[in-house]
Amino acid sequence: MTEKLQRSVIEPENPLLNASRNSNLPHVPGIRIGDYIFLSGMVPVDPQTGERSHGPIAEQVRVTLSNMRHMLESAGSSLERVVRVHVVLADISHMAEMDRVYREFFPVDPPARTAWSMQLRFGNGCEIECVALAG
Amino acid sequence: MSAKREVIPLPVRAPDTASGSGPPASMVVRGGDFLFVSGLTAADLQSGERMLGTTANETRQILINLKQLLDAAGSSLDKVVKVNVLLRSMLEEPNMNEVYARFFPDQPPARTVCGARLPDGVKVIVECTALA
Amino acid sequence: MREIIAAPLAGLDLRKHYGHHQSPAVRAGGLIFCSGMLPVDPHTGERRHGTLTSEAHVVLGNLKLLLESAGSSLERLVQVHALIYDSIEYDVLNRVYRQYVANGPPARTVWTVQIEAGFKIQLDVVAAA
Repeated sequence: MTEKLQRSVIEPENPLLNASRNSNLPHVPGIRIGDYIFLSGMVPVDPQTGERSHGPIAEQVRVTLSNMRHMLESAGSSLERVVRVHVVLADISHMAEMDRVYREFFPVDPPARTAWSMQLRFGNGCEIECVALAG
Repeated sequence: MSAKREVIPLPVRAPDTASGSGPPASMVVRGGDFLFVSGLTAADLQSGERMLGTTANETRQILINLKQLLDAAGSSLDKVVKVNVLLRSMLEEPNMNEVYARFFPDQPPARTVCGARLPDGVKVIVECTALA
Repeated sequence: MREIIAAPLAGLDLRKHYGHHQSPAVRAGGLIFCSGMLPVDPHTGERRHGTLTSEAHVVLGNLKLLLESAGSSLERLVQVHALIYDSIEYDVLNRVYRQYVANGPPARTVWTVQIEAGFKIQLDVVAAA
C-alpha cells in the first residue's frame, strides 16, 4: 500500500494577492500535493494595492498571468512548470486579445489549455486557473 | 527529485484561433505520471481545418482525434482518468453521450459535463487527463 | 495503473440511473478524480431539486460518502470546480460549502454554467487518495 500523499497550502509572498485570506473565502490560493500544484482561479488584482484591476482585457490578462507567475514562484515552481490552464473570459469576443497576451507568458512549449466563456463575478473580464508541477 | 514536464511532440495541427494562428497551447503535455490534453474541438488533426457539424459529429471527430493523440503519446483511451466536456447547450448532452459511450466501452473514466459559451462556433469541447 | 471507484450506494451510480457514461471516480497517481457530483439521492438516485443550499448539502454529502468509501475524505480535497447556475448565488454557495471544508479548504474555482436537469449546483473535484 503506497503512503498517502500529504497536501500543503500555497500562499503568495505578496499578501495582497491572497484573495482567500483577504476576503475570508473558503478556499486557499493553491494546494501542493505530491508532484502537483493546483491553483484556485485567479482574477485581475493590482499587486500594488490588492484592488480589482479592470480595464482593457489585455491588461486584465496580463496582470492575472503576472500574479499567477508570482503565486507559482512563491511555491517554488514557475510558469514553465505549468501543465494545464483553464482560461475563462466573460466575453468570448476577447479570445484574440487574450491569446496575444497569453503568448507572452508561455512563449515556448506552452501548457495544455482549454479556453471558453462564462459569466464572471464582480465585472472581472477573465479568470485563469492552472495545474503545475511542483519545483 | 522534481517531476518531469514534457510537451509531447506530435505531427498535428490545432485549428487557428480568432487571433489568426494556432492557439498558444500544446495538445498533449506530460507532467509526472499524467498526460494533460488540451480542450479539443472537431478538426482535421493534420491540416487543422475545423470540422463543425452536429454535436454528435463533432464529438465523434474529437474522440477519434483523442485516440490518435493518446496512442501517439504512448497512452490510450483506456488510460484516461478524467474527462471534462463543455457543450454549447446541455440539451445536446444525450447526443454527445451516445457517441462518447462508443469510445469508452468498459470502465469509463470520471467525467463532468456542463454548458458554457464556446469559441469559434463549436458545439463541444473535450478535455482530458490520462495516465502516461 | 488506474482504478475505478464504484458507487458506494446505488443512488450514486449515475450510469445506471441516467445513462451517464462515466464511473463515479477514478484513482490514479495518488489522486482521486471524481465525476461531477449532482444533487441526487444517494440511495435511490432520484433528483433532489431544491434551493442552491439544499442541493449543495446533497452534493457535499454525496461526495463525503464517495470519498470515504475510497479511503479519502473531504479533508483531502485538493481542487474543486464549483459549478453553479448563476453567480448571484455565490455567497449562498460559500455559506454551505464552508461547513464542509472547515479544516483546510482546497483550491477552488467557481464556474457559472448550464448544469444538467436544471440543477443549481454540481461539484467537480479532485482529492488526494
